[in-house]
Amino acid sequence: MADVEAARRALEEALGQSEVLSDPLALRLYARDASLVEGGCALVAFPRRLPGVVACVRIAGEHGLPIVPRGSGTGLAGGSTPIGDALVVVTSKMTDLIEVRPADRLAWVEPGLANLDLANALRPYGFTYAPDPSSQQTSSIGGNVSTNAGGPHCLAYGVTSNHVLALDVVLPDGTLERLGTEAPEAAGYDLRAVMVGSEGTLGVVAAVCVRLTPLPPAIRTMLLDFETVAECAATVSAIIASGVVPAAVEMMDNGIVVAAERFAHAGYPTDAAAILIVEVDGTEAAVEEQATAVESAASANGVRTIRVAADEAERALIWKGRKSAFGAVAQIAPHYHLHDCVVPRSKLVDVLAGVYDIAERHDLIVTNVFHAGDGNLHPLLSFDRTVPGTLERVLAASEEIVRLCVDAGGALSGEHGIGLEKRDFMPLVFTAEDLSAQACVRSAFDPDTRMNPLKVLPDGARCGDFAMARGNDAARAAAELPEGAWL
Amino acid sequence: MTPVPRIHPQTKRELVEQVRRANTDGRRVLVVGGGQHLDKGNPSDVDDELWTTQLDALVAYEPAEMIAVVEAGMRVGTLRSLLADGGQEWPADAPDAATVGGLVASSASSPRRLKFGPLRDTVLEAEVVTGDGRFVRSGARTVKNVTGYDVHKLLSGSLGTLGVIAQVALKVRPLPQRRRTLRFGGDLTMATALALLDAVPAAAGIIATPDGVELRLEGWTAEVDEQSRAARDVAEPVDEADDAPFPMSSLWDDAPVVAEVAVTPSRLGDVVEGDRWSALVGVGIAWVGLDHADAPLDTLRRRVREAGGIAPVIRGPGGLGDDRIPAPDVQRRLKAAFDPNGVLAPGRGWGGV
Repeated sequence: MADVEAARRALEEALGQSEVLSDPLALRLYARDASLVEGGCALVAFPRRLPGVVACVRIAGEHGLPIVPRGSGTGLAGGSTPIGDALVVVTSKMTDLIEVRPADRLAWVEPGLANLDLANALRPYGFTYAPDPSSQQTSSIGGNVSTNAGGPHCLAYGVTSNHVLALDVVLPDGTLERLGTEAPEAAGYDLRAVMVGSEGTLGVVAAVCVRLTPLPPAIRTMLLDFETVAECAATVSAIIASGVVPAAVEMMDNGIVVAAERFAHAGYPTDAAAILIVEVDGTEAAVEEQATAVESAASANGVRTIRVAADEAERALIWKGRKSAFGAVAQIAPHYHLHDCVVPRSKLVDVLAGVYDIAERHDLIVTNVFHAGDGNLHPLLSFDRTVPGTLERVLAASEEIVRLCVDAGGALSGEHGIGLEKRDFMPLVFTAEDLSAQACVRSAFDPDTRMNPLKVLPDGARCGDFAMARGNDAARAAAELPEGAWL
Repeated sequence: MTPVPRIHPQTKRELVEQVRRANTDGRRVLVVGGGQHLDKGNPSDVDDELWTTQLDALVAYEPAEMIAVVEAGMRVGTLRSLLADGGQEWPADAPDAATVGGLVASSASSPRRLKFGPLRDTVLEAEVVTGDGRFVRSGARTVKNVTGYDVHKLLSGSLGTLGVIAQVALKVRPLPQRRRTLRFGGDLTMATALALLDAVPAAAGIIATPDGVELRLEGWTAEVDEQSRAARDVAEPVDEADDAPFPMSSLWDDAPVVAEVAVTPSRLGDVVEGDRWSALVGVGIAWVGLDHADAPLDTLRRRVREAGGIAPVIRGPGGLGDDRIPAPDVQRRLKAAFDPNGVLAPGRGWGGV
């Protein structure tokens, strides 16, 4: 049984009284992330240095509290939503850029450092940190690691796991280990690779060694607008088919363009059915070649206008509209539910048409802003959850959208993760054997199930147990979910 | 010594059956692909060799998706020509006879790793037969994906000790319009290479050797011309060729023992020694040719360890070295979970796992 009071005293001794919260307001605040899921916790701790993280994990273990790591709380799938008697370990006070080593093209950072703060700090060295999720002003590197975060520029540069060389991790038993190395290859199994994207279920990340990406000598940002969504989506495929991999290809439909324009005043064409933001980078010559290919692909597919950012200020403005889109939709309705499926690029047009159809049938407003180059959709359902019956319609529509994407050969999540929100969809894409192997990975790291319980894997997924348990077992596991934990 | 019996499963189903049979019969097996990287690994006694080379089908390839799905026994040469028909490549740069699965399992490094990254980053999805005969798929045929634990990523560099890779979905890329190699002579090869790394944007690869530097440029013709000019501002090349192999030559080609060093990039110059090495500048990989695996290898490994790196042998005797593995309990539990009966090349992996 968890001894919360003893854990609190031990944590206060280890971290200082001000770094441990247990008042009802704090517990309520940290009972959720940016998803719709709400849970509950017993204690919230703010370690300031690596030994503090070790102390949190050890103390939680000694006193029987599950551990839920948390960065900035911008997660959209409930990955850091705590359950029951959990100790929430918040890394938001660990924000140091520990060292930058240009000659080795790497930097060590504390997990609470915001993504954008890291990118800005690297700029004077001539480098950047390539993954740039839309939440980058707020979301932390540690959180990015836990969700294998993406962002617009992952099309050309790859996702978080491609940019993390090593992790200092406090394992669930309280031992500190370095997974991966500063060198390009490491001894042993690549534990770093499974730690990235594990949503805080395998350990607590206490420091991150990131790979530096040289800033490109030239960048060109283009805004293309179309009279139909189909032409816009077809342009995306045509660009890729022409042998060009732009740094980013982002698509926004009319609903989101109107909302973003009202908020950001980026000069978006509000009468367009859909727009594309295409960015190409590289040497001057490479930028010229790619831009020409993009323009001809767009012309062949009925582009109305092409606006080229004249300077850095205009580029920033075009991106501001895109990156603030999720905030801008608050004008439409107070709540939103966002999906994150990935589909093959060639299925974009069909899947989009399906998404509009689903929203219409459930009488919901849907807007779309997404990483078109990657096939990573973000259909966004806007609603007011205080209106009776609305949430139920949203959830029904969400499930249909997920099934639509899976039927198109897609994945459940491109960059937000599974967390609590999507774990019950896992059997849609994985067999019982697949899930048993995943459970083996989890139990190899955390044999005593101390970390982030009930996340990622659906009920009944067990290592070494080929057949996934159903019936009684599932009912029992569901009973472990406290009241109100599910939305 | 009697030759080890070879098993050649023709289908994935047969592969699963063979692995399960190894478990029931208590026979230890070595997984073999193209046989190009078998020396990489610690000594292991096995009863059978399990060859994946008959599992070599092209499963799916849509150039517009930039993803190719192939069975793991497909030869790299076959894949190269299939992808070239779609105007694309998988930047593995291995001998034609190597298999896709073998390259992934041995974590081989491409000379163009500077631009294209490690091969492990190109494996988006895989089907794997675990040591206990489970048929497991993980990942997805999409470029971005965070859907559960990426079991397949553990197979990358696992040297056939956790499972048998049956199939992979690979992220591929457009072939460049122009490929050019510039060769530089002179004594201060590491210094020249570092200057080129700084001055030439987006080089595909920079290889330093005791004899000189080879700089690889790939992209649009105008881009490669632009990069060439930047390189000439650093030093005048002694040779320049379009469409030449990269590297043009390797000084360690005929060495009986070759170690593959991995250190932080800035320490490369501290660890390479002798007259038969080549180093991937900006990456931190170096191949070092040795006459035998005893004293010279020990000396090399001592230097590499001081620099915080590893130096497994990829040709000849010498194994992986006795380097410490991180989180050894986790590693052992993984091995025990995926290969509980220890049928997959016992002792072959790092740390004797």
